[in-house]
Amino acid sequence: MQNVVLKGYKDGYEITLNADADFKAILIDLSKLFAELQLEKEKSEAKSLSFDISTGTRLLDAEQKQEVEKIVSQYPLFSIHRFTSSVMQIQDALEMIENRTVHLNANTIRNGQVENIKGDVLFVGDLHQGGILRASGNVFTFGKNEGIIHAGFPNDAEAIIIGNIHATQQVRIADVVDILEENQIEDSAETVVFVNDLHVLAYTERAKVKMIRPKLFTRMGGY
Amino acid sequence: MGKAIVITSGKGGVGKTTTSANLGTALALADKKVCLLDLDIGLRNLDVILGLDNRIIYDIVDVVQGRAKLHQALIKDKRFDEKLFLLPAAQNADKSVLKPEEVKDIVDELKPDFDYVLIDCPAGIEQGFINAVAGADAAIVVSTPEISAVRDADRVIGLLEKESLDEPPMLIINRIRTHMMNDGQVMDVDEITRHLSIKLLGIVFDDDQVISTSNKGEPIVLNEKNLAAQGYRNIARRLLGETVPLMNLDSEEKKGLIQRISSWFKKN
Repeated sequence: MQNVVLKGYKDGYEITLNADADFKAILIDLSKLFAELQLEKEKSEAKSLSFDISTGTRLLDAEQKQEVEKIVSQYPLFSIHRFTSSVMQIQDALEMIENRTVHLNANTIRNGQVENIKGDVLFVGDLHQGGILRASGNVFTFGKNEGIIHAGFPNDAEAIIIGNIHATQQVRIADVVDILEENQIEDSAETVVFVNDLHVLAYTERAKVKMIRPKLFTRMGGY
Repeated sequence: MGKAIVITSGKGGVGKTTTSANLGTALALADKKVCLLDLDIGLRNLDVILGLDNRIIYDIVDVVQGRAKLHQALIKDKRFDEKLFLLPAAQNADKSVLKPEEVKDIVDELKPDFDYVLIDCPAGIEQGFINAVAGADAAIVVSTPEISAVRDADRVIGLLEKESLDEPPMLIINRIRTHMMNDGQVMDVDEITRHLSIKLLGIVFDDDQVISTSNKGEPIVLNEKNLAAQGYRNIARRLLGETVPLMNLDSEEKKGLIQRISSWFKKN
């Protein structure tokens, strides 16, 4: 395989950098490639082109990306659309798994405490008045909820809360907050809280999840 | 080796110091050697309630700063020969003069010589609280049936659980007014215990005599017949491992004759 391969697709051009080749050699070949492209371009009509840079099983660090960008920036007609690769850092991968897992949590969250969870949470503990249960994803709760439940922290308005929030002080999703008065929400374990099209918190029942969040519903195995 | 127990509440004025004094006295009456440690630096009270205020020569800050030896600063309560001792707090110093490690060193030095070291914690959750918890093996949280006190107790229990003490914190519900609790005007004992979800160590009824006796420098627990005193004695017995049933909340028998007669008419 060559160090640098240019391929054309229906939706654009992709330059693949050989993951086994020396990076300096790649940079030299890349410069040549762009020089040739520029020559060809000059013959035809001038129209700007954007490339995807695919690095295969190699991960470029910020410095290496800069070097590639430097080469491309010499040619005003060309630009880099994005860098892609088929591998990722273990740390990033773990974070991704964390964000996609439904975490089982049975803690007691007391007054003044904040329980931060990455991803979804199935909460079966006690949330006391003044405590905050905060998840970056959805909150499914069987627990005693007398504190504040925050789903989709900080900005995922697609997140929902399902459970009994009859005695809850506040529900928050992303940046929207609702202060719950006493007896505002009925004493039901099937209350669903979501952010509606007007970006306001709305309440519905479990059976409506399919309609309001079809993606989530399929992810949960519904159809 | 003794056990160090911190007595705390978060909220002020719920009876931490009164509880410390009475529990210490009750344990001393049960033939245990007890040292009370007042950590409310700047606002010491424990010595006053025990009636030992005029015998203070050195205090805990003197010990920490090397002006006195620990045994010099300990004040013996003569009523309980060699059973009850007090290490008083300093009056004209700030809470920040003590560091958690220094308090821990003092507690560790006391533990081999005593059965119980009771640490009276100041109100709040700042430096004074951190100091008081540093040396403790166990904790007693004092609350009253008021919502604000229960909330603060909840907060403090959360902080105590993070401290990883040897034992989970225990609860004392203080200042119970039976008629209010029976009328449902305040949270009842079960409700508070369930809400805080920790072990209930005991309950103490509100009683005017608690104040009047502490004004005289005699802990109420010395008065056997008093209801509050019985509460404290029961708590001490439970700490020593006995199984003692909770005291009855029925206030009926406490009413006077006239009140009882008038209550017959109310029912009709």
